[in-house]
Amino acid sequence: MDKNVIETEITMGTVHSAAIEPYRVRLFVEDEIVKDAEITVGVNHRGVERIMEGLPVEKANSLTEKICGICSGVHLWNSVLVAEKGLEIEIPERASYIRIIVAELERIHSHLLYLAHGNEVLGHETFSMRLFYIRETVMELLRMIGGNRVQYGVPIIGGIRPRAELDEMKIQKIREGLDYLEEKIKEFADRFTSDPMIMSRITGVCPIKREDALRLAVTGPTLRATGVEFDQRRKMECYDPFEFDIITQDDGDIKSNLLVRVFEIFESIKIIRQAVENLPNGAIVDRSWEMQDTDIIKSYVEAPRGTLYHSYAIEEGRVRNVVIRTPSIANIGAMQYAVIGHHITDAQLGIVQCDPCFTCTDRAIEIIK
Amino acid sequence: MLYLIIGIIGTIIIGFIVSLWLPGIERKFVHARIQQRIGPPISSPGIMAPIKFFFKQSIRPYSPLPRLYNSLPLVGLLSALLILLFIIPETYPIGALASIVAIVGFLKIEEIVYVFMGSLSKSVMSLRMPFPDLAKGAKHPNVQRSFLEDISAMRAFRLIAFGSFPIYIALFVPAIISRSIFLGDIVAYQQVHGPILFSAAGVLAAIVFFIGYMILLNEYPFVILKTKADVIEGPYLEYAAKSRAFVYITRGFLMFTLAALFSVLFLGIPPNIFTWGILVNVIIAVIFPILMASLSAFAPIFTFKQFYPVTLATSILGVVALLAAFI
Amino acid sequence: MGVKSYARARAIHAMLVYTGGCNGCDIEIVNAVFSPKYDAEQYKIFLTWNPREADILIVTGPVTQQNKKPLEEIYKAIPEPKLVIAAGACALMGGVYKNIHGDIPSEEIAGPVEEVIPVDAKVPGCAVRPEDVLAGAVSILPKLLEAK
Repeated sequence: MDKNVIETEITMGTVHSAAIEPYRVRLFVEDEIVKDAEITVGVNHRGVERIMEGLPVEKANSLTEKICGICSGVHLWNSVLVAEKGLEIEIPERASYIRIIVAELERIHSHLLYLAHGNEVLGHETFSMRLFYIRETVMELLRMIGGNRVQYGVPIIGGIRPRAELDEMKIQKIREGLDYLEEKIKEFADRFTSDPMIMSRITGVCPIKREDALRLAVTGPTLRATGVEFDQRRKMECYDPFEFDIITQDDGDIKSNLLVRVFEIFESIKIIRQAVENLPNGAIVDRSWEMQDTDIIKSYVEAPRGTLYHSYAIEEGRVRNVVIRTPSIANIGAMQYAVIGHHITDAQLGIVQCDPCFTCTDRAIEIIK
Repeated sequence: MLYLIIGIIGTIIIGFIVSLWLPGIERKFVHARIQQRIGPPISSPGIMAPIKFFFKQSIRPYSPLPRLYNSLPLVGLLSALLILLFIIPETYPIGALASIVAIVGFLKIEEIVYVFMGSLSKSVMSLRMPFPDLAKGAKHPNVQRSFLEDISAMRAFRLIAFGSFPIYIALFVPAIISRSIFLGDIVAYQQVHGPILFSAAGVLAAIVFFIGYMILLNEYPFVILKTKADVIEGPYLEYAAKSRAFVYITRGFLMFTLAALFSVLFLGIPPNIFTWGILVNVIIAVIFPILMASLSAFAPIFTFKQFYPVTLATSILGVVALLAAFI
Repeated sequence: MGVKSYARARAIHAMLVYTGGCNGCDIEIVNAVFSPKYDAEQYKIFLTWNPREADILIVTGPVTQQNKKPLEEIYKAIPEPKLVIAAGACALMGGVYKNIHGDIPSEEIAGPVEEVIPVDAKVPGCAVRPEDVLAGAVSILPKLLEAK
């Protein structure tokens, strides 16, 4: 790349109107076209892995929930899965189904937040407000199941919290909510894709090629938007009873990213409907396990943004050697290459297209080459 | 003589009072209804906000020339005031300044002010945010770093170059139809032949005028100068207290002034407080922002990739209107 | 009620600063403004991203070390009279990051917001509820109206 063609540098700081989390972006431009980009994570480093060292297992699990405000449920679920794998606990089937219902509801509200935020950066306040309004239904369902709109804390070691038990009335409310969501999101998707002004803004803008995405370790919907069919849910045992498609698109640009997530919302609704219809009876928690020492256990789960990895070891009931790797660390790095050659306003949208969750990402990492 | 002074001052006062309510009407009756929410009271964005800003502490803006920077909103307000002054029929006998060419000049001042504002503003939300950027391992540590407002200034330059074509072309169509650039003659022509709006060239020119109105007021989708997506607020970032109040007032005033200009050029009804003409001007001043807000609520921000073709198409429509005016 | 207090009560500009944490509170507050269900604009509270235009500063998150100086600079840039609302458990006492009492405490938190800038209203919750933030903003308005 021609280094001497860079005219000036634009910095967008920790607090900016187009960002919902603190990060720092330096765009190196020439005549408003981006030639190089540098995204700095680390503004949000709280030292979660360090604080978790030496805590009792249950307390450490409840801390992982606070890593991120949007994808909190999936962090807690993965952390609990590590403990259950290590201590060899079998959870009852009803608990597994309810965990999947909560995880899919979280996927829906995370994708809706992404669409609303993307529209806000596009400049379309009306659509952004409509999406926030639709999202309220999901938040109310989560409040009904878990007790809080954000950070509902449903999985525990051995099953789910007794408060999150579903009875007939709650299941009926879930069905009504899903019907409402399906209708409104379909209407919105039709309206969105038939608008020529928006389509001309997002088609062909900031694409990332399939080879680059695989080389830079991108995962999740961002990878599926470039045409690679890979979903971690196919490898998870608890998803075996459910039938769903893997959604892919071809171009890897902003339009593909948006469409992948819209269709994934429909797939999640399908999974929740299957779970609610076939919900097995039985207990929801199994408390007959014993604490033992374990080696380092690893667990992978499909978060709304990609593949999430947790690992730790248990020693005398306390947690040791925690490592957490979130999908956004690679996705954000890949976006530094996707924005090259585009206008600054499009580059802002290009950074948002991978659904970055900077708070999930802030960890100290060691790169082994 | 007394007639003259009462006419001028009365019209300016009525224009000022109406313009205070326009931002509120735009926000509550259009944006909020479309977005299915309740919205603020009508007086809040237009009247109460500037009054509140007058009572805030005045600070010294971070700028190489702070006094010049603080006086620029007044220059903008003055140019809008001058346009309104020379639309009032009592001033038509002056001749030279009550003509289309003078109005084009005053609009130019309005646009150039953005360039100066953008170059002089150095806000804490852009480069001055304290962050250890140039640490070891940073990319390109020796590149010149610029503020977000400098980008705004460059964009304002481009808008001066091509963004004002639509409204200038639309301004000249009535001049061609009535064979004179003086406002007095244009109004007299329409008293005899009926409003210019009711002819083919007039309708086309009115559409082009409306789009030019949206570009001049930096309303969505033509908001690239001060969009929230990358430049936060653009040239206005360092304004606080009194200067910010003037920025708010100028916007409403410009909305009224341009609507009155439309009424003079296309309907032949100047803002004359001694006849019912002033009411027509007020009604148009309320209809234009409502129309503008309904269109802007459904549009994203246009980058230059979309801005150039739209302006080109509108200018071509304007040229067609010019040619139709000769027939 | 003079013109000054009346005008100050009818047009309030609020700026949101996120200083780290899990950003759940931050999204709930954006929800309060951008969602037609809660709609802060009907209470005459407008959202702005420019400290020069703001009257109220809403701070969420425990202040991490990298965010301490930006927060101070933004606070200094707001003209008087100004108020600060600290929203969420992290902003009030460091949240879960400072108070979980594991073997090794975190060194990345520069303390709750109170230790960096003066705070006028405290809104608890994890994550804070949108209606609580609006109630907190409304409750400290008398301080803003009576200020010099």
